[in-house]
Amino acid sequence: MSESTGTTFRAMTWARRRTALSRVWRELRHDRPGFIGLLLLSGFGLFALSAPLIADRSSLLVASGRNNPDLAAPSIKFLLGTDEIGRDVLAQLVWGSRVSLFIGLFATVVAVVIGSVVGLAAGYTKGKVSAVLLAIDDFFLVVPFLPLAIVLAVVLGRSPVTLSIVIGVTSWAGSARLIRAQVLTLSERAYVERARALGASSWHVIVRHVLPGVAPLIIANATLIVPSAILTESTLSFLGFGDRLSPSWGKLLEGAQSSGSITLNAWWYYLPPGLCIIGIVLAFTLLGRSLERIFDPRLRGR
Amino acid sequence: MATPVLRVRDLHVTYQSSLGAVPAVRGVDIEIARGETLGLAGESGCGKSTLAMALLRLVSPTTQITGSVLLAGKDTLTMKPGELRAVRWAQASIVFQGAQHVLNPVQRIGRQIDEATEAHGGARATGTAELLELVGLGVRRADDYPHELSGGQKQRALIAMALACDPLLIVADEPTTALDVMIQAQILQLLEEIKRERGLSMLFITHDLSVLSHTADRVAIMYAGRVIEVGAGKDLLRDSQHPYSKALAASFPIIGDPSSRRQPRGLAGDPPNPIDLPSGCPFHPRCAVAIDTCRSVDVKLRSVGGAINRQVACVHFGDA
Amino acid sequence: MSRRYLIKKVIGAFLTLSAVVVFNFFLFRIVDRDPLAKYRGRSKLTIEQRETMIRRMGLEGSKWDQFTVYIKSVLRLDFGRSFDSTQPVLGEITARLPATLFLVGVSTLLTICVGLYIGTKAGWRRGSRFDRTSTSATMVLYSTPEFFFGMLLLAFIAGRTGWFPTGGLRDVGADYGFVGNLIDRMHHLVLPTVTLTLGYLGSYALIMRTSMIETLGEDYLVTARAKGLRDSEVMSRHAVPNALLPSVSLIAISFGFVIGGAITTETVFSYPGLGLATANAISNNDLPMLQALFLLASAAVILFNFIADLVYGLLDPRVRRTE
Repeated sequence: MSESTGTTFRAMTWARRRTALSRVWRELRHDRPGFIGLLLLSGFGLFALSAPLIADRSSLLVASGRNNPDLAAPSIKFLLGTDEIGRDVLAQLVWGSRVSLFIGLFATVVAVVIGSVVGLAAGYTKGKVSAVLLAIDDFFLVVPFLPLAIVLAVVLGRSPVTLSIVIGVTSWAGSARLIRAQVLTLSERAYVERARALGASSWHVIVRHVLPGVAPLIIANATLIVPSAILTESTLSFLGFGDRLSPSWGKLLEGAQSSGSITLNAWWYYLPPGLCIIGIVLAFTLLGRSLERIFDPRLRGR
Repeated sequence: MATPVLRVRDLHVTYQSSLGAVPAVRGVDIEIARGETLGLAGESGCGKSTLAMALLRLVSPTTQITGSVLLAGKDTLTMKPGELRAVRWAQASIVFQGAQHVLNPVQRIGRQIDEATEAHGGARATGTAELLELVGLGVRRADDYPHELSGGQKQRALIAMALACDPLLIVADEPTTALDVMIQAQILQLLEEIKRERGLSMLFITHDLSVLSHTADRVAIMYAGRVIEVGAGKDLLRDSQHPYSKALAASFPIIGDPSSRRQPRGLAGDPPNPIDLPSGCPFHPRCAVAIDTCRSVDVKLRSVGGAINRQVACVHFGDA
Repeated sequence: MSRRYLIKKVIGAFLTLSAVVVFNFFLFRIVDRDPLAKYRGRSKLTIEQRETMIRRMGLEGSKWDQFTVYIKSVLRLDFGRSFDSTQPVLGEITARLPATLFLVGVSTLLTICVGLYIGTKAGWRRGSRFDRTSTSATMVLYSTPEFFFGMLLLAFIAGRTGWFPTGGLRDVGADYGFVGNLIDRMHHLVLPTVTLTLGYLGSYALIMRTSMIETLGEDYLVTARAKGLRDSEVMSRHAVPNALLPSVSLIAISFGFVIGGAITTETVFSYPGLGLATANAISNNDLPMLQALFLLASAAVILFNFIADLVYGLLDPRVRRTE
């Protein structure tokens, strides 16, 4: 292929992607739940970005609460009151959004990478390799995933990065299953068979023909893994994992629970992080389901 | 003349799709007398199945139906839900195409037949066992599930089911499609016998004109939601007038008529998109004998001189 | 049900269980090189005590020796002694099992019944007001961590009204007689059950709704309508039995989540079952307890999946009646 045809080819590919993208955007704008999800998500994104403007990072330190009243109700100074050692709840909430989002997104990346690799491989290979991959997938699908995450976290460690990996490792099985099914239907399509008949290597066929075909599915699926990863993170934090000095929303809830804020009616301590978790999970779920509908016409009307 | 079993007047069926309103049936008039079989033929997408479903209002609630469907003198389109339920299956039943999932996969065959009679008070002349014998299945099949039957057996079960409430009219919707030729012939014969013994009327829907040559007293050809030719069965098949009917007849050899084999087969082009019908006669883009008028004028069905009861919707035939 | 299907499912369940057992060994003896390092009291141990402990935990010899010792003890249901209470793990678990079984059992039953009902009705009347309301509600339920529900119930129902106890299994130190004690226990069970039920209602309802919607387009529903059946009969006799099939497997898989939910729910209500034991084991780094709890949770889910396979076999004649 000469360079000029290569360039036009690439230009055409980009043009096609741009139209596809604008189609997704157009449909998303008309899909009310999905659009609400997107708006909510942008709101949380701005909230997380604005952390340094709202509170200094140092207000997360234990020392920062030393001169403040403990479990004080909201006031001008502390818009969301203080926790049991006098730290600003709003500061923890806004910085916590970064922790929750980071773990949610990073865990999703881990899950999607494992899920895609296993799914593509299981769909593309035949015989023993595929059978073994499917057996592993089955195992991770059946084993109850919170207990699994707990034992992994106990053994591997409790830092946010380890937690993300643990969550990712426990959440990929469903997407591998989905991707495999999609690969199986795609491999029967004419263009993939043609590429294979022309002698293209497996790698080439996967990267050039199969992957672009499953990409929309992977994106929609990933959008749905994020909320469950965030939920899992909050659950693990609530059970004692995670870092008290850089608390996620789940960790804040644990603090609220263990400090007795519920019996003391300190609603400013436990309500905001709980509502934030609901909001972000809802946002990702609405958006993910909407993307699923847009990418997979069979799901229209759900 | 006695009241016809079925009398459809100016039937329009329009369903809603994401791309807009789809006029699937556009002003159809048909009549079926007691004991008569009307064959309704056309390519897939011409609206023949939609028409069948509309007779008993089995289309989705968002679909618009206008005109009138007089079943034994009563209009099903204006009935209250309770009346309509009472008429369904008891006056007109449907022999669906067995290849599709028309039988509930998790219910026994016998149960699915019983259910129809129970819905109509339970009283009937023939029992389930007898019905199964009648269609040549045997009583034992009552305990089987649909997946345990072959294609031909499923079709027989569906015929037994259609007879459960002693209807006046049977709508056979492609009952032999997807069966092999031998089984096809058996099913056709079975339908014919049952019809004759019980004095039933039948609306026989098919895309395959050759199956109509034995069964239909009269034949109506549909194109793009309209009947474009109607006439006595064998007569119409041998000597069709409308260019579309001709092409359709030519694509199926008529058994016993060697000349039919020499005619050109098939039709150029695709059936029109119902959302975007051509102007004038919807057939003109595919028509070999189209003239300028066809682009602007859509001729209504009208009697043709000579042939008895023959009506054609074409500018070339009948009085201009 | 065909024997082959049954045998296949029994073998499948057994293999998965074996895989879990092996995985457990791999995780706690190979990934974690020095399990004893997590024992808090280790600095106070004498050398003899330390060796006894190593022997008791089966950490002697080569990995292969350790593996055989491990398998033998798993078969004897001997999971060693808790780091925390120093009592045998098995006893600790059996003592707490009934409380959790009761909580999880009642909640699962409620979740399945209510969830399936809501999902069925919403899917059948897709786009109706019921569907829109219930789907919005189930989406919010689905997005809420169940322990946050628990906290809300504690704060706004138990705390404000005093109608329900704030935690525990029963009123400590009180004796109301046999019936009274039973009622007392039920009373303590209400809020945890509601929490766990609400926590997983959403996903069950969504599963069933999707399944119903997929069934709506089936031809046999047209047949049923053509036969003159009422709308409600078309739904209950034809749509629901078919829509249940795909739901059964999905519901079995989500049972794993209910187990997870029991852990946090018991923590919120200090309900002394296996969930609370798990939370305590996490904070005490109690490896022997955690191993056993993990095995038990996995076995429970595998058993539940097996039951689901049997139910599926009973519901679907295509599985039941193939030679």
